[in-house]
Amino acid sequence: MNLQPLYDVKSRLEQAAIAGTGLLAEDFRLQRAAESLKPLAAASPVFAKIDNGLQKLLSASGEERSGLLLDLLALVDAVAYTQGSSGMEGELLPLSGTGVGTCEPLSYGQLQPLLEALSSTGGGRMNLIKDMWENHPEYFGDFRVLPSLAAGLGEGYAELAALIEDILKAQSPEITVLLKKDFDPAGKKDMVRRVEVISALEGRKATAWLKEVLPEAKKDVRGAIITALGADPQNGEFLLELCKGERGASREAVLESLALQEGMEVQKFWEKEVAKNGSFVRFLAPASFDWASDLVAAGLQSRIEQALADAKPLTQESLDELYLWLSAAKYKASPAMQDFWRWAGEHLNAVSQITAADGKSPKFDGQLIDGLFSILCVTAPLSELCLELWEKDKKGPRFLPHAVIASLFTRPAAEVYDRFAPYVLTSKPLVGSKQKQELHDAVLKGLSCIYWNQEQERYAVHYTNAVSFVPSASCLFLYAPSAGDLSIAEPLDSKWIGRLTEAVWKTSFDRQKMPFQAGELVDSFDACLAGLVNPADEVMLQAIVPWLRRQAVETGAWIAYSRWLLQFGVSPKGILADSMKKSKRSPQLYHVWDLLRAASETLQPEETAALLEEIRDAGFFCKDEQVRETVFNKTIVDLRDGKPFPEWNAWWKA
Amino acid sequence: MELTEQTILLQAPNPAAAENGRKISKKGSFSALCRSGDDTVYWGECAGSGKNPYRVSIDWLNPEAPVCRCSCPSRQFPCKHALGLMFERLAGKNFETAEIPEDIADKRARQAARTAKKESGEEPKAKKPNAASQKKKLAKQLEGLERAEKMVNDLLTAGVGTLSGSSAQVYDKLAKDLGSCYLTGLQTAFTRMALAVRRIQEDTGQSDAAYAEALRLLVYLRSVINKSRTFLEAKLETDNYSAEDTVLFEALGGVWKLEDLHAVGAFREKARLLQLSFDVSYDEAKKEYIERGWWLDMDSGRIDQTLNFRPLKALKYVKGEDSRFDLLEIPVLYTYPGEGNCRIRWDAASSRPLTGEERTAFQTLACPDLAGALKETKNQIKNTLLPKFRAVLLPVGRLGRVGDTFVLEDPKGERIVLRDRPEDGKDHASTKRLELLPGEIPSGSALFGLMFYDERDRSICLHPYSILTPERMIRLQF
Repeated sequence: MNLQPLYDVKSRLEQAAIAGTGLLAEDFRLQRAAESLKPLAAASPVFAKIDNGLQKLLSASGEERSGLLLDLLALVDAVAYTQGSSGMEGELLPLSGTGVGTCEPLSYGQLQPLLEALSSTGGGRMNLIKDMWENHPEYFGDFRVLPSLAAGLGEGYAELAALIEDILKAQSPEITVLLKKDFDPAGKKDMVRRVEVISALEGRKATAWLKEVLPEAKKDVRGAIITALGADPQNGEFLLELCKGERGASREAVLESLALQEGMEVQKFWEKEVAKNGSFVRFLAPASFDWASDLVAAGLQSRIEQALADAKPLTQESLDELYLWLSAAKYKASPAMQDFWRWAGEHLNAVSQITAADGKSPKFDGQLIDGLFSILCVTAPLSELCLELWEKDKKGPRFLPHAVIASLFTRPAAEVYDRFAPYVLTSKPLVGSKQKQELHDAVLKGLSCIYWNQEQERYAVHYTNAVSFVPSASCLFLYAPSAGDLSIAEPLDSKWIGRLTEAVWKTSFDRQKMPFQAGELVDSFDACLAGLVNPADEVMLQAIVPWLRRQAVETGAWIAYSRWLLQFGVSPKGILADSMKKSKRSPQLYHVWDLLRAASETLQPEETAALLEEIRDAGFFCKDEQVRETVFNKTIVDLRDGKPFPEWNAWWKA
Repeated sequence: MELTEQTILLQAPNPAAAENGRKISKKGSFSALCRSGDDTVYWGECAGSGKNPYRVSIDWLNPEAPVCRCSCPSRQFPCKHALGLMFERLAGKNFETAEIPEDIADKRARQAARTAKKESGEEPKAKKPNAASQKKKLAKQLEGLERAEKMVNDLLTAGVGTLSGSSAQVYDKLAKDLGSCYLTGLQTAFTRMALAVRRIQEDTGQSDAAYAEALRLLVYLRSVINKSRTFLEAKLETDNYSAEDTVLFEALGGVWKLEDLHAVGAFREKARLLQLSFDVSYDEAKKEYIERGWWLDMDSGRIDQTLNFRPLKALKYVKGEDSRFDLLEIPVLYTYPGEGNCRIRWDAASSRPLTGEERTAFQTLACPDLAGALKETKNQIKNTLLPKFRAVLLPVGRLGRVGDTFVLEDPKGERIVLRDRPEDGKDHASTKRLELLPGEIPSGSALFGLMFYDERDRSICLHPYSILTPERMIRLQF
């Protein structure tokens, strides 16, 4: 049955209601629609009823029309509902069934705060999402949450978007289906993040999709796609072809990716590329292939040879290029590269004669030595070479830091200690003091790159960023541990700590550190020493604890030394007040609270209370009776009653 | 009942309170943790912003309805401290065994006495309605109906199109007047009309949808006014002032109490209910959140709903509901008058996991076929006083796609298009989630959703809310 006349009547009645019943008499379209309903009315009683209602409406007086119109609309709606179609013809294909995410019984109360934080704006969301990720990572894999998480990559708050990106990278690779859906190759930062997540989750498997979306990709998204293509070592040929047509940032992305490819063609390409523009060698910095290593070694050596042959001051441009080539030697340990370092070792004296345009020496020999040291920290295969260079120049300090690190990478801990500890003198020599101090300092420099990574429970060597080249690694110690730092062969020999605390020269590192950001400066030596200690090593603790207690009182740096003691599970009781008295600055109540809060996490409540008593009894903050009573005395009583250490708010109010 | 994170969330007035409780527990604010020898009472002290710690206790004598007490001044119930104490227990913190403190023991005894009195069958005396005031109220309601009808007629005479030029305040005022006439149901309809006016004035792009909404409201009002007038006049004539088993009672703004439902016989005993879905929406006209649970009667296959209204003004103080995954055994289940999916309530229930037998019963409890469900839905939605959708549980033959459209085919081969109901809003969109489901939906499954008429292509569609397989229930909502 053709129901169009019914829908026409419905539409005209609605229009009549919008236009007003006052105009009904002149509504010829409604009358025409009523006419076209007649055949249906003749065929069915319900349409006859509608027809009847229409006639009544059209002939009704003004007062009656409103009611009649609404009654008729209700009737027409009811008939339209009854005539509503259902179903769909065509081949019914099953759902993909691959599944994205988990389907656990998680309630509204569990998921809704997270979904709201992901889809709304305003403050507080970062903390909520962080807390949830920490306490309930399983919520994030729920199939109802994942689409919001994917949409969250477009979050305007960059820090939150980065957190969401990290969360997505921790999900299973199946979720990339969601990210690929509605992907906009001409999009903005959110699409760049999508590419990064897809690449991180799928690795080389992403290649087919990346190639598919690349033709339409624009700007940053294009760069991200090209960078991601570099993750697949089979993409060399494709990237070489791509390089011909790309310009600007996209071409740089191709070069970055090509540095991660292998093959004859790629090698030839790079030979031509760096010959054309030497500064492009910066793209080869992450590459560890032998061809890249050979290319950098040859280029570096030829540039140094040229500088030596020219026998005239180097322009700043040439000098910068030399540094660039040196920094590109990172991760490279091919035989040719090792030969270069041997050659460099033999020509250090000549290299020291190179002068800059201003007539001063850039000390390029020292840059080469420190450069090799820093490169060794991230390129363990150079260990034997470094030991070889040291063996050739054993009396000098130049390659001694290298030898320490190289030995720690490759030799048993006890052997390293026996070999190098004698250089660390514990009493002043009667003769050759200057030369012996140079050797002493060189060993300390080597050790300063080692730290105990508490989270990963291993000793590691600090990663040195060779692009922003830092000639001296001696002060790179207190950086946040990085998962990428290389491990040493065996845990550090425990005897080192005792030896170092007795070292006769402790001021080798003349810079000072501010390790706990409380405005206190401490000597770098102590900071390095504390970083070497594994808190589970009793021998080390026996040596370091008395040292730290003594230093606390001598220097007055009560926060740093107390915090180190607490890190090793030891109370600073007995020295805390003395150290505070020695300090040149008056202690601030917040710093006291912060230290004792940290103490309350490590020590028993009674021990924390005793520290509070020590500070109170030494007369600190005693002028303020309220602080003395409500802060010190009350907290001491509360701690002894088994109550938790108070929030800062409670102290601050006092 | 085993203490889990979900059971704690069920007790919490809202998710934020539970989160605050978790934080208090995590930062170690609790001390002096104790429990009774029989493991029913837990108590402790919690450091707060005040000088003295708060004394918190939880009595689990009835594990389904723990009694939480706290000395803090919070009006939220249970407060974050009580929820924090639950998290302390969940985290396996050490509670020393001790004698129940005297004050808690006293309160417990008084509570037990109240419960015993209630269970002894001493019914509170029913209030006798005051005939004179009821008569006056009915007269006032009839007067309100007259005014509402006049407003409807005037609007239609001038044309709904004039809404764009009229002041929303006119409808707000009329809504307020109808509230004074004890017609809160009609009051809400006119407030919605005022909202439609504002929408038209603020965004002309939305005017078509707003006019359509206004027309629907006018048709509804016409129907309610006519039927209510007959209903009220009959009551007035017969001097009958008690609540009656009709949807008009609520449509006019009447509020059912459990004892009234009991009095009209709208209850059944020993019900077994399983929640099929849970969702929350915001009603702008009433300025309140509506927490809706859809429930399957495991004996009859009937689907009803729970509605928990949380006004914006009192959001913090009205306990929120949450998804439930266990089966509820309810001694007395009250059902509101009406047709289709009725509102249900209860004042006590116990929960337990579903048995294997119950899990496999889903398809037998579903509508026998799609055709029957379509017929029932059409019958319901053509009634101007009933919602324009019907909750149904359908047996799954095949679930898949025809082109880009999701389609359900019942075991007899009949099909229905799966689509989000536009009126439910973006936050209820769930059809697309079907493509994220892991694995195929096995035969013997059932699909729960809302069947509705879609004006856009004049078809009956189904908004999918959850899928029940013999192994598990997949909530596309919550």
